[in-house]
Amino acid sequence: MKKKILSLLLAAVMAVSLAACGGSSAATQAKEEPAAAEAADSTAAEKKDVKDLVIAEVHYSVVEDGGWAQAMHEGLLRACDELGVDTEKNLLTVENIAEEDTALVESTVDTLVDSGADIIFGCSAGYATIFAEIQPKYPDVIFAQQGNDVYDNIVEMQIRGYEGEFLAGYLCALMNEESDQLGFEASMDEASVRTALNAYALGAKYANPNATVQVIWADSWYDLDIEAANAEALINNGIKYMGMEASSPAVPQKCEEKGAYCIGYNIDMEANAPGAVLTSFCWNWTPIMKDIIQKTADGTIKISDNYYEGGECSKLAPFNDALVPAEIQDKVNELKSKLESGEVVVYAGELKDDKGNVLVAEGETMDDEVILAQEFFVDNVIGGKN
Amino acid sequence: MRGLKYRIRFEKREKISTLRVLLVTLLCVALALVFCGIIIAATGFEPLKVYREMFLKSFLSQKGFQKMLTASLPLIFCSLGVALAFRMNLNNIGAEGQYAIGVIAGGAFVFYGPHIEGFPGILLLALCCFLGGALWASIAAIPKALWNVNESITTLLMNYIALEILTYLCLGPWKMSGQNVAQTERIPEGLDLPELHVFGFDISVGIIIGIIAAVIIYIVYKHTTGGYELNVISHSTKSAEYAGMNIKRNVILVLAVSGGLAGLGGFAQYSGVTHRIMEGMPNGVGYTAIVVAYLSRLNPLVVVIVSLLFVGLQNSTVYVQIMGVSVRIASMMQGAIMLFVIAGEFFQRYRIIVTGKEVAAE
Repeated sequence: MKKKILSLLLAAVMAVSLAACGGSSAATQAKEEPAAAEAADSTAAEKKDVKDLVIAEVHYSVVEDGGWAQAMHEGLLRACDELGVDTEKNLLTVENIAEEDTALVESTVDTLVDSGADIIFGCSAGYATIFAEIQPKYPDVIFAQQGNDVYDNIVEMQIRGYEGEFLAGYLCALMNEESDQLGFEASMDEASVRTALNAYALGAKYANPNATVQVIWADSWYDLDIEAANAEALINNGIKYMGMEASSPAVPQKCEEKGAYCIGYNIDMEANAPGAVLTSFCWNWTPIMKDIIQKTADGTIKISDNYYEGGECSKLAPFNDALVPAEIQDKVNELKSKLESGEVVVYAGELKDDKGNVLVAEGETMDDEVILAQEFFVDNVIGGKN
Repeated sequence: MRGLKYRIRFEKREKISTLRVLLVTLLCVALALVFCGIIIAATGFEPLKVYREMFLKSFLSQKGFQKMLTASLPLIFCSLGVALAFRMNLNNIGAEGQYAIGVIAGGAFVFYGPHIEGFPGILLLALCCFLGGALWASIAAIPKALWNVNESITTLLMNYIALEILTYLCLGPWKMSGQNVAQTERIPEGLDLPELHVFGFDISVGIIIGIIAAVIIYIVYKHTTGGYELNVISHSTKSAEYAGMNIKRNVILVLAVSGGLAGLGGFAQYSGVTHRIMEGMPNGVGYTAIVVAYLSRLNPLVVVIVSLLFVGLQNSTVYVQIMGVSVRIASMMQGAIMLFVIAGEFFQRYRIIVTGKEVAAE
């Protein structure tokens, strides 16, 4: 008897919910998919005032993560500010959307589109495949995704992080007068991480041809304990200056505790360890995002567009004046302008990997595709995985 | 002076009516909403408006229901698996890892197996995922059966191993080329789980398989000798031994099927939703399944409903965030509702008895 009551109740709930949605059934997702060729070339049709655009951002963590997501979020806030977009009203921020949860990502996009979003920024590389797959359902929305240029129907944006890391390695090698040994705390063995490590090592070599970089791997994207333990291991081996590709402030804090120095990563980490952070490598998304937003408003954006920017986007935070002497600051700034003018190229020949193979011949430079998918470690990296 | 010394003890209730369970659960949800309402109001939003948006859009709209159906696929299977093991007092904490290995076995079939598509291909893929999960669970089940090695610990620890293997494959040999994301290539479309279009809903065949699995498990419990044996073993292994039941065989069988169901969860997600394998793909579903199994009182039919409600609640955080409410509050609401319901469960299962005894006091 009781069981029957339960099933009756459930049936009633189902009936109510079905009745409630019966009216809106016409509003189901449009199923027609435009021809692929047409989609790739089409531009957002009408011109809009940039202040009327609704901009959405999707993050895998919270935006105050002290790392990647925060850099993205703050970059977008600055872009909106500079364009006069009212972020209270026209910026929709959705956090904690796991990249692995495809159903949740799809449902989030659908909800954002229903809420009027004109642009959706995917702030982590894992959204790319999902966005590209569902884009045909939402032809009026611009998907702007962080990642390499893989798809023709979403705007992709990537920063030449190696430029900033090159400067970071150069700075550390200049500071490290007593030894040739530098350190690096790396997260997972993966192309974007190798890019940071290799660029750091190349920057160090540019300052000191004998400089070597000892890398220790956390084998985790985020682990305070392992990152701190790795920093300690480097310091115990006599290393005083280190770079990092890690998302937490564990390395800076350990350096401060043990009297070593490091370069922060993702955002300016000076406040986390003012006695150890020389400067930080920062992702600056503002110029790219500003351009995407403005072009969307003007109707000139192409969904196949791709951004791969260095310079201002791949910059170092202001130097820690208490730790970095003025003449070294000047030298780093000088190298920065040489990078911008193209006088110095990070991945230029002759470049050898850690097994002695020539990667780039004298007088040549590496292709972007190889840079983005790098599977090598440059010759002065010690401890690369192979 | 004399005083009273109180003793509190919990006594297990014998019979609890279904209607009572339902009403108390609803009451707990209401209490949780009042609790969250205070915090929402304190942050400057109108609680009623937030709730209206949340429940209308997440549970009572066609789109919301559709999203719930799609998102619930892996959770239904994992929860069914966990509930099955819990029924026999086997604490399978390893659905997360069994899911991962299930997906890996499926991936091995897709990448290295014969290229069979369509119905037979999907069936083979499902079978591989099931066997993967079952095999992984057996690694914990056999020591449990033979030497009584604690399965809570072995299944839990094996999750970490499974997830490491998954990460290795997604970043290493199976990684899709051309981008910096730890995921594999898409499976051929011929291996996608089909969807049925009913009453304006796209219902994945995975959901239907899930419901059929739940019904089969229910019937096995209620109407077969095997189900009867499980029931006896769960209540008293001694009696079961006297009755000549093979406990070792049952332990291995139940844990293996439990793991196999988690592996099927991986299959449903792989073939039905993501169409590719990703690093961290189980994404905590194997652990959520434990909560779902507990709240469903291990009843397979209830598991399906609780799983749906659970993912509906998860989806609702997006609507709340779009209203401008902080993600922390959105996640807290989800947690508070769960916590209140679980607390309510406790008081439904146990009766609090306070006894007073007069004692002398200084």
